[in-house]
Parts: sequence; structure tokens; C-alpha cells
Amino acid sequence: MNQEAIKELLYKMADDQLILGHRNSEWTGFGPLLEEDIAFSSMAQDKVGHSLALYTMLNDLGEQDPDTIAFTRNADQFHNSIFTELPNAEYDFSLIRHFLYDTAEALRFEMLSHSSFEPLAQVATKVRGELRYHTMHANTWVKQLGAATEESISRLQQSLEYALPFALGIFELSPFEKELIADRIFEGEKALEEKWKKKVEDLIAQTQLQLPKWESISPQYGGRTGKHTEHLQPLLDEMSEVFKIDPTAEW
Amino acid sequence: MKSLDPRVNRLPQTDGANTTPKVPLDQFGTFEVFVQPKAGKPFQHEGIVHAPNLEMAYVLAKEAFTRRFTCVSIFVAETRNIHISVLTEGDDDAYNHVVESAPNGEKTSFEIFHLFKRGKQHQHMGAVEATNPNEALWVASKQLKTEKQVFNIWTIRTSDIRFTNQDDMDLWLTLPEKKFRDAASYKGGDKLKTFLEASKN
Repeated sequence: MNQEAIKELLYKMADDQLILGHRNSEWTGFGPLLEEDIAFSSMAQDKVGHSLALYTMLNDLGEQDPDTIAFTRNADQFHNSIFTELPNAEYDFSLIRHFLYDTAEALRFEMLSHSSFEPLAQVATKVRGELRYHTMHANTWVKQLGAATEESISRLQQSLEYALPFALGIFELSPFEKELIADRIFEGEKALEEKWKKKVEDLIAQTQLQLPKWESISPQYGGRTGKHTEHLQPLLDEMSEVFKIDPTAEW
Repeated sequence: MKSLDPRVNRLPQTDGANTTPKVPLDQFGTFEVFVQPKAGKPFQHEGIVHAPNLEMAYVLAKEAFTRRFTCVSIFVAETRNIHISVLTEGDDDAYNHVVESAPNGEKTSFEIFHLFKRGKQHQHMGAVEATNPNEALWVASKQLKTEKQVFNIWTIRTSDIRFTNQDDMDLWLTLPEKKFRDAASYKGGDKLKTFLEASKN
């Protein structure tokens, strides 16, 4: 099995989960209502947990330990999609990102539960319940607010249009697509993107939101090769602040 | 650069006028949440969530009440759909106050819940067939009452409940592993002890 291909896949997945997990955790204490604050924080914690499982797998493949990988790299060494690092701004954007990203996340893990790379298949199978909740939560909210009031619909619509080019950036092709598909490790970004578009179309059709034509959207690539926005480094600085004071501390 | 953290950006703005008009409360209705901690154990009342509707209540209840410990299933019902009996004290059983109630209309299914101890949670006992909530309690007094004293009885139309679907049973699959959410698992006392002992040397 092609180790470099597996590592590339694991890094981008783990970095996506860590960065969005951290970003979403910024809502803790500030959610629009108490119950939602708790739910969104729990899901952010799940994402960080997924990143730990994936970094641990990388460690088993010879990479450094999870804390070192998570806390000591600079922005240009991260492989997360740009979408995950964008600041939260208003809740409508965070919610739309949660919907678009988690739909892709759940599909990716579902596909990987059949991966020939056994450790990844096991983790993907294990977290299926968590991801089921994440998409249930996102879908319920988008259906609710996407057909509620004029304000909720127009806010979600604006966020949707802003988010879509970045969301398509999730599916930036890896240099190892052929190897991953041939070795039956992962069916590939193209296959994932097609499944994702179908799911997004189905859900948006149940709301009063309008989905722009896919051809009219220019995907924002670059994140997978370390080309990030100015928003990532401040996030990393804040996330690693305590770790950098004393990397050996147990807390 | 302006902070990216909403905790900073969302602080109330204090510039300008000293006061702003107090806005009326704009709150959602409440929904009652029932949790089944283990397979085979009865569902028990766990608490209340605010939500705009039953489906949202279900989604929010899952994290509000089953983030810790164990859970295999939940269900929710709108507070206004819970019909409650009198609350009794001492050795007075709530069923002593349930009077015969005649059927009126179509029979439907009602879920029955007993409170066995004041201050504890209501437990799900089973379902009865009746035409209205009053009759449901009367039927329950014949079918579900046991020797054990009951202080309060709740009944909910089965059709008013959002149950967990068979497909969603794996929502709690990894919950037992999330010990880190339990403050006790941090073992603060042990850490302090180790630290103090290390400082002595």
C-alpha cells in the first residue's frame, strides 16, 4: 500500500477536523441559545477527537506524536481546506459551514468505512453515530431556518452563496488520487464531490433557499498544499498558546 | 488585527447612549426529555429543552441530556402534551385520587410514567389504550399499578412523542468512551496530591 498517499489523505482529514473543531469551539458560551451552545460545542469536541484518532494513525506510520503534529506546525504546513479556517462571523455562516462541511465529512467517513487501509476503516466505522448526529443536527437547523422568516432565509442564502466556493475547495484533488483509488484506500475526491452535491441539492430543495448552478461557482483551492488565508495563523497561535508555555505539562 | 474570536467581538457595545430599551423575552416553548440509560431499563424523565418544534427539541435534547454517562435511546414530547395527576405525600398513593373515567371517542395509545420517590425522576411504565388522558390514568390504575407507592403519574399520547428511530440507535455508540466529559475522570485530587508530594522534595 502506498504510504505517502495514505499519509496525505490522513493529514488533510485530520487537519480539517482539528481546525474546524477549534473554530466551532469558539462559539462555546456564545451560542444563540443554551441548548445549541451545548450541541455545537459537543460536535466541535467530536471533531477534535477525530483529529486525534487520525494523528495517532499517522504516528503509527512514523510521523511525530499527535500533540507535536497539532501544536507545532505553522500555517503553511497545514493541509486543511481554506473553508475550515474562515472566521465564524455570524451564526448563519457557522451553521451553513457546519451543514456543507459535515455533509462531506459524513460521506467521506462512510466511504472510508470500506477502505482497504484497515485502521482507517475501523475509525470510520466507529464514529458513524457521531457523524449521523452532526448531519442530523445540521439538516434540521437548515430546514428550520431555511423556511422560517424572511430574515432567516436571506441570511442563510447569503451565507450559502459566500460559502459554496470554499466548500468546493474541500474536494481539491490530491496528487495521489490514482493510487488511492487503485489500492482501494479511498474512492477519490471526485466521487465524494458528486455524492456531496446530490445530498446538498436534496436538502436545499426542502427549503426556500436557492442553490446557484454548480458551474457558476469557482472552487477556492490551495488549502491542501499549505496555501492558506491570513486567518489560519492567528487560530494556530491561540490554539497552541498553552502548549507552547510548557510542552511537557500534563493537563 | 481585529480579534477573530466571537467572545471578544460580541461583547455588548457600550459607546453612545447610556441605556437601551429592555426588549421583551422572546423564548421558545419547552419540551420534556426522556432518556433510556441502558437497554432493558425504563426511560426516565431527564429534563427540559427549549425549542421551536418537536424535531428541533429532539436534536437539541440529545446533546443537552446525553453528553455524559450512558444512553441507548431518548424521546421528547412538548410540555403542554404531558397530562399530570395530583402530587401526593406521605403514604398517600396518587392512584387513590384517580376516579373512573368514561370513554369518549376513538381509542388511542397513551404512555404512562410513575414517580416512585419525591424529588426523583418519572419512570416509563408502559402504554395503555384509552380515549382521553383521564381515562388513560383510570386504565393504568387497573393495568400498570403495582404494590409500589406512586406519588405522581404522567400520561402522554404516544402520537405526541418523537421517538428515536431504529436507524438512529447508533447516535450514542461512542458515548461510553467520552469519559473526559465527566469532571471526576480528570482526577484533580490525584493530580494535586502528586504535585504536592513532588514539591516536598
